[in-house]
Amino acid sequence: MNEAEPVKVIRLTGELEIGRKNEIRSTLRAPADGTPVLLDLAGVTYADSIALTELLRFCAEAQQVGQPVALVIQTPQFARLIQYAGLATVFKVFAEPAEALAYLTESPRQ
Amino acid sequence: MSRQPSVLRLRCPAQSRFVASLRHALVSFLRAHDFKGQQLDDVTTAAGEALANVVEHAYTAAASQVDAYIGLRANVDAKGTLALEVYDGGAFVERRPTRGRGFGLRIIRAIAGRLTIDTSNGTRLRMIFERKR
Ligand SMILES: Nc1ncnc2c1ncn2[C@@H]1O[C@H](COP(=O)(O)OP(=O)(O)OP(=O)(O)O)[C@@H](O)[C@H]1O
Ligand SMILES: [Mg+2]
Repeated sequence: MNEAEPVKVIRLTGELEIGRKNEIRSTLRAPADGTPVLLDLAGVTYADSIALTELLRFCAEAQQVGQPVALVIQTPQFARLIQYAGLATVFKVFAEPAEALAYLTESPRQ
Repeated sequence: MSRQPSVLRLRCPAQSRFVASLRHALVSFLRAHDFKGQQLDDVTTAAGEALANVVEHAYTAAASQVDAYIGLRANVDAKGTLALEVYDGGAFVERRPTRGRGFGLRIIRAIAGRLTIDTSNGTRLRMIFERKR
């Protein structure tokens, strides 16, 4: 991996739901140095709107410090939740970690 | 499968730590009635949003804390029609949409073809689904 542009990986697994709100919130802390973040959500089995709110907050905070964020989502329920909520264009979602990594390390971002 | 309607009724304190168990019980019940795949996911997602709303909004008025409960009722009839209700004894809170919130009802509306929200006595969401093969 390119040393000049390390990627921080944050992983959440299982059910991202209202009962885990505090834990989700404290896990989704943006590093303050502008490091790109790969949010590995591949092991999430279910997500609700509380998770969406925390993800939105995280992405907004990251954007303020110019820190790109890529989400890895493989669960159909989670992917559809984002569609139903009308957030398909808000998050950068990838099915494979390699694609997310490529986006974070290679692409000239808009 | 029985020709009689089959009913699941659940009631528990309106606390966030119970929401997952209610949802899991609903999933088991629906699986046993041959709900599966995307439809099972979607029904579960809609139920999860309705349950979360009870915990987050129904009992915010201090006076209504006495018996803060969540109710869930799922009825599957012989034709495979599911009537799903999530209800509470609180008070519906009218609110203007705020940025970064307000996804729950939007998600529910995207999923439930037939939805009614009765706020005359607490809040009662009723959703109807026809089981897909
Ligand atoms: N059971 C309920 N009791 C009282 N008010 C409710 C109930 N369900 C929904 N509401 C009201 O409807 C509003 C919209 O609900 P909705 O689920 O769409 O958004 P939210 O819960 O505020 O945010 P999000 O779902 O994104 O976490 C709530 O903010 C609340 O004011
Ligand atoms: Mg909600």
